Amino acid sequence: MTTQIIESVLEEAKKQGAKKVIEVQLVIGKMTFLGTEQVRFSYNILVEDTIMKGSKLIIEEKDGVIECSSCGYRGEIPVVDDPAYHVPIPTLRCPKCAKAAKIVEGKECTIRSIRMVK
Amino acid sequence: MANTKDVIKGEEVTLEIQPGMNILEVNKKLAQKNMELLRKHNVKAIDIMGSIGAGKTCLIEKLVQALKQKYRIAVFKGDLTTTIDAERIRRHGVQVITINTGRECHLDANVVARAVERISLEAIDLLIIENVGNLICPAEFPLGTDKRVVVVSVTEGPYMVVKHPFTFMNADVMVINKKDLAETMKIDTKQLEKQVKEIKPDVKVAVTNALSGEGVEELIKALEL
Ligand SMILES: Nc1nc2c(ncn2[C@@H]2O[C@H](COP(=O)(O)OP(=O)(O)OP(=O)(O)O)[C@@H](O)[C@H]2O)c(=O)[nH]1
Ligand SMILES: [Mg+2]
Ligand SMILES: [Zn+2]
Repeated sequence: MTTQIIESVLEEAKKQGAKKVIEVQLVIGKMTFLGTEQVRFSYNILVEDTIMKGSKLIIEEKDGVIECSSCGYRGEIPVVDDPAYHVPIPTLRCPKCAKAAKIVEGKECTIRSIRMVK
Repeated sequence: MANTKDVIKGEEVTLEIQPGMNILEVNKKLAQKNMELLRKHNVKAIDIMGSIGAGKTCLIEKLVQALKQKYRIAVFKGDLTTTIDAERIRRHGVQVITINTGRECHLDANVVARAVERISLEAIDLLIIENVGNLICPAEFPLGTDKRVVVVSVTEGPYMVVKHPFTFMNADVMVINKKDLAETMKIDTKQLEKQVKEIKPDVKVAVTNALSGEGVEELIKALEL
């Protein structure tokens, strides 16, 4: 995934005729498997031999929002806090009517901006 | 990336990218195209995901055996390097296309679209895709199938569901495989089923033994085949 992000940035930088990329801003939804720490870690390794080397990575995390087609509920994703599971588990069970809801926000992985030197 | 706005400060340029450059979104659009193409040819498609060794290939072999009278089947097999699984499935007399994923840990809608070009959609009614063995990444990359299946086996321990909630949120059907080992592994499959339904209330669950074929009938029903 991080590879794809970097490829997109490099492609755009090339199109713009940039000599160096100095900052990249990403938006990552909390409902993806992408952890900011993991992305940061692989980013630093993967940019090593590119014009992105040494660039600053800013990541904004976006909360998950679900929507229920049965009752119209829209809001933040509920969590089950059963002590048997040790950790709070996010759930798609609608907090109002208990039917299955859908994720409408929190699945993004977007490049918001790139700062570069031409 | 059409909608860009340049803010020029001397030599430094900030490129602000407008919403619409969601990398996952690009895959989703391609998946939508795959689905439309398959639907147009009346081909049902199933994406089988799950960890390495969960029993994906064994289950596909059993599905093919049970369904090959009813459907003309093709199988896509995403693999890092080998064609072992492809050979195992090919023995059952169906067309198998191996998609070499190189170092990617999942299939995406683009590689599936290219594989679809290599087969004749007129000649098949059912496409089964074995994804790369990985419980995490494939879930974020829909391929354009009607159903998405996640296979877990009881040997993966009691926490595989609660540790990967997002994987199961993307699944239509969950298979709990290797039920024959549940007792030895001290795993209560009912408990796993309860957990997954807590995370995704409308998921269907099949408990199987892919070696004996037990539960495969249940799986076929869950897949509406
Ligand atoms: N006891 C038992 N063993 C099983 C069952 N299903 C699969 N196995 C065994 O588990 C191993 C892995 O099965 P595969 O079908 O190759 O698993 P896979 O998910 O396709 O694995 P990869 O493609 O390598 O990710 C094999 O040795 C199978 O014989 C089952 O229901 N019970
Ligand atoms: Mg396999
Ligand atoms: Zn509701």
